[in-house]
Amino acid sequence: MDERRYTRRDFLRVALAVAASPTLLVACAEGPKERVVNFFNWSRYIDPKTLPRFTKRTGIQVNYQEFADEEEMFAKLRSGALGYDLIVGTDYMIPRMKALNIIAPYPPGVLKNLGNIDRQFRRTPYDPDDAFTVPYLWGTTGIGFNKKKLAKPPTSWLDLWDPRYSGKIAMLDNARDCISLALMLKGYPETETSDAAFKAVRDLLLKQRPLVRQYTSSTYVDSLVAGEVVMAMAWSGDVLQAARENPQLDYVIPKEGSYIWVDNLCLVRGSQHREDTLRLVDYLLEPKVAAEIADKVRYASPNAAAKPLLDASLRDDPRVFPPKREMEQLKFHALLDPDAVELWNDTWSDIKVA
Amino acid sequence: MIGRRVSRFSALSTYVAALYAFLYLPLAVMFVFSFNDARRNVVWKGFTLSWYGRLFHDAELIGALGTSLRLALTAAAIASVLGLLASYAMARHPAFKGRQTYNALFSVPLMMPEVVMGVSLLAFFVRVRIPLDFGSLACAHALIALPYTISSIRARLLSLRDSRLEDAAMDLGATEWQAFRKITLPLAWPAIFSGALLAFTVSFEDFVTTFFIAGIGIVTMPIKVYSMMKFGVTPEINALACCLLALTMLLLAGNRLLSRDPAAR
Amino acid sequence: MTQTAEAAAENLPARRESRAEKLLSWLIRGASPAASHLLLLPAAAWLLVFLLLPVACLLALSLATRGPYGTVVWSFTWANFGRALNPMYLPVLLRTAAYAGSATGLCLALGFPLAYYLSFYAGKRRETLLVMLMIPFWTSCLVAIYSWMIILGRHGLLNDLLGRLGLIQAPLPLLNNGFSVVLGLVYFYIPFMVLPLYGSLEKIPRAYLEAAYDLGASPAEAFLKVTLPLSLPGVFAGCLLTFVPCMGDFLTAEFLGGPRNFLIGNLIQNQFLMSQDWPFGAALTALLVLSLISGLYFYQRLEARQIEP
Repeated sequence: MDERRYTRRDFLRVALAVAASPTLLVACAEGPKERVVNFFNWSRYIDPKTLPRFTKRTGIQVNYQEFADEEEMFAKLRSGALGYDLIVGTDYMIPRMKALNIIAPYPPGVLKNLGNIDRQFRRTPYDPDDAFTVPYLWGTTGIGFNKKKLAKPPTSWLDLWDPRYSGKIAMLDNARDCISLALMLKGYPETETSDAAFKAVRDLLLKQRPLVRQYTSSTYVDSLVAGEVVMAMAWSGDVLQAARENPQLDYVIPKEGSYIWVDNLCLVRGSQHREDTLRLVDYLLEPKVAAEIADKVRYASPNAAAKPLLDASLRDDPRVFPPKREMEQLKFHALLDPDAVELWNDTWSDIKVA
Repeated sequence: MIGRRVSRFSALSTYVAALYAFLYLPLAVMFVFSFNDARRNVVWKGFTLSWYGRLFHDAELIGALGTSLRLALTAAAIASVLGLLASYAMARHPAFKGRQTYNALFSVPLMMPEVVMGVSLLAFFVRVRIPLDFGSLACAHALIALPYTISSIRARLLSLRDSRLEDAAMDLGATEWQAFRKITLPLAWPAIFSGALLAFTVSFEDFVTTFFIAGIGIVTMPIKVYSMMKFGVTPEINALACCLLALTMLLLAGNRLLSRDPAAR
Repeated sequence: MTQTAEAAAENLPARRESRAEKLLSWLIRGASPAASHLLLLPAAAWLLVFLLLPVACLLALSLATRGPYGTVVWSFTWANFGRALNPMYLPVLLRTAAYAGSATGLCLALGFPLAYYLSFYAGKRRETLLVMLMIPFWTSCLVAIYSWMIILGRHGLLNDLLGRLGLIQAPLPLLNNGFSVVLGLVYFYIPFMVLPLYGSLEKIPRAYLEAAYDLGASPAEAFLKVTLPLSLPGVFAGCLLTFVPCMGDFLTAEFLGGPRNFLIGNLIQNQFLMSQDWPFGAALTALLVLSLISGLYFYQRLEARQIEP
C-alpha cells in the first residue's frame, strides 16, 4: 500500500517537473545575444522549406507561429504583441494597427530587394507612403462554385441572388467583403455613408438572406467540396488550393469586378530583433523565395521579379493572375474612417440577426 | 408479473443501447474518417494510414499538444491544492459563520455560461494590463477546474468523516497534523487524484474560455483544431483525436485501478 | 481498519511538536473560525480575482462608449443596453432561450430512462456505462461537431443511408437549421443531465420502494409516488447544469446552424472578436447574465416549493 502511494506521489512530482521544464528552457534560451525572429503569419501561408533555408544561410532562428482569424488576432493584439517581431496584416487592418501603435515604419533604404515589388502594389490607399508595409501575397474575392452542380458557371455577382439556388449559397462572414460588394452592386463608392446608400445595402443583403445557407469565412470550402452549397463568395487561393484535389471546384471573378486584397509584412513596434527581422523580410523578397512560396500556397505574388520563376500552371492561371482587362476591374479596398467602420459593422450585425 | 418486468427491462435496455449508439456515432465516424485519403475530410475518398504517420512529424500539432499538457497539468495542480484546502474546511471544520456564503461563492462558476467567463476575463485582463500569456491562461483554467476538484474531494472527506479513524489515531497520541498526514491524506488520495484528473481533462478540452483569452501564439489543442477547421480539417485531426481518446481510456483504466479504496483491502 | 491508526500511532516520533506543526494542527482542527477562513481564503480569492472582478469589469464596460478602431472610451452611457434591447436583437435572446429550453427538455426526456436504467437495472455494467457516458464528453467537441457535419449533410451519411434504403426521395434538410443545432446541444450536454439524475436516483433507499410494493402499489404507482418525487432534486440540478451552458453556447450554432439559428453566444463572440465593439458585446453579456440570474431566482423558489412540501 505504501509503495503504491509513493508511486502516485512520484507521478505528481514528475508531472509538475514536466510542466515546469519547458518554461525553464525558454527562460534560459532568452539570452540577449540570441539571433531569432518571431514571425506571426496566417495558417498555411508559407512553404515549409523556406524558413529552414533562411536559418541555414544566416544562422538566424525563426520562431514561426500561425493565426487563423485576423479579427480574433487583433482583439488580442490590443493587450500587447507578446514579443513578436514580424506579423502579416491584411490591407484593411493596417490603418487600425497604425492607429493603435502596434506596427512600426520600415527604415528607408534598408531592404535591398524592395524594388522587386510590382509598382501596382506600392502607394496603396492603406499605406500611401509605403512606410509600414511590404506586400507578401495577394488575392481576390470572387465566387467559388461546384461545376458539376451548376447548369452554367456564374458570371455575375447577382447569381448569388438566384432563387433557384436557395439554400445552396454561402456568403463570407464579414462586413468588409459583404458591405463593399453591396455598395459596389448598388453603384455607390466604397466610402459612401449616406442613409440612402445604406438602406439600399441593407435591402440588397436582406433580400439575399433567405437564400443563404451559411455566413461563414471558414467552412465554405468544405461545404463546396461536400456539395452542401453550390456557390460561395470566396477568396481565390482558398478555392484554388482545394481545387487541386477536387477538380469539380472552380473560381471566377464576376463581370462587375471585385476587390483585391493584399497581405503585408509589418514590423511590430518595440521589437527587440529589428535587424534580423529586416534580413528575413529582405530574404522573403528574393525572387526565388517569393516564387517558391506562391507556388506552394497558390496565391499571387506581388513580386514582379518572381513572376518569371513561378510554376507555369500558377503564372498562366487567369484565376490567380487575372488578364489585364479584368485587372482593371479590380480595386483595392478604400481607406475608411472609424465612423464608417462602425457603420459597416453595425449594418452587418443587423443583417446577421435579422 | 415477472414476464412484464422482463419485457420492460428489455425494452429499457434496447433504449439504452440506442442512446449509447447516438452518443458513439460521431466517434465512430471520427475513427473511420481518420483513415480517409483526402485532404478535405468531408467526403470519403479511400483508405490510408498515412495520417497517423504524419501526426508524429507535425511539429505544430505536437507543440499544441505540449502546450495543452503543460496547461492542464498546471491548472490541475493549482485547482487540486486550492480545492483540497477549501473542501477540508467545508467538510471537516465545525460549523462557522459564513459557510453558506462560501458555498454560494463556489457554485457561481456553474451558473455562468463559459462565454461569459471568456469575455469577462478578456475585458478584465486587457483593462488591468495583465498580459495574455501562459500564466494568465493557466490561472483561468484553474478557475474553471476548481468546482470539479472541490466537489470530488469534499464528497470523499464527508464520507470519511464517519469512519472516525483520525479520532482513533489521536486517542493514541497523534496530533491533528499527524493524523491528517498519516490517515486522512492517504485515504483521500483517490478522490484528490480523480479530482485532479477531472480538472486535467476539463482544462485539456476547454475551448471557449481559451478561445477568448489565449494570447497570440499560445496554441492549445482545441484552438489548433479550431484554426484547422477554418482552413479545412484534414483527417490528421481525426487521427489525433483517436490517439487522445485511446490515451484517455488508458488513463481512466489506470485511475480505476488506483482509486480502488485502499482501506477496503 | 484500526490497524492503520495503530500503525500510524506507532510511527510517531517521540518529539515535541514544532511550531509549524502546531500551526498546521490548528488549521486542521478548525476550532476557531479563523482557521476555516484561512483554509478557504486561497480558493475564495481565486474566484474573486478571476471571476467576480472580471464580471464587475464587464458590467462597467457595458456602460462605456466605444471609441475608434475598437478602443473603449470610459464615458457613461446606457446606449449599449438600448441597442441590445431593441426589437432587432431581443429575438436572438428569446431564440437562444427557446433552443436551450428544448435541448434541456430533450435531455431530460432522453436522459431520465438512462439514469433510471443505470440506477435500477445496470448491475455490474453500471460503472462501465457511466464511464462510457463521459468518454464522448472528453473528446474534442470540435471534432465531434465535424463528425456531425459529415453525418447530417445534404449528401451526408444519414441522407445517403436513408436514400439507399428507399425511405426518402430527396435528401432531407438536416444540417444548418434549428434541428441540427438542438441535436448538437443535446449531444454535448446530455451527460450533465444524466449524472445528477443518476445521483439522486441512487440515493433513494430501496426499502421505500419495497414498502410501497408491500402496501400493494403497482409499479407505476410506486414510480409516480416514490421514485419520481424523490428524484426531483436531480431533475432540478440536471436541468440547471444543462440549461446554463446551452444558453452560452456558440460553437454548435456556428458550425451546425445557419443564418436563422444565430444565438446570443454568437452575437457576443461577434461583437468581441469581429466587430470589435466591446461595450455592446459587454451589454449583451450583461443581459444574458441578468436574465439567467432572474431565471435562476424563480427556478430556485420553484425548486424549494417542489422539493420540500
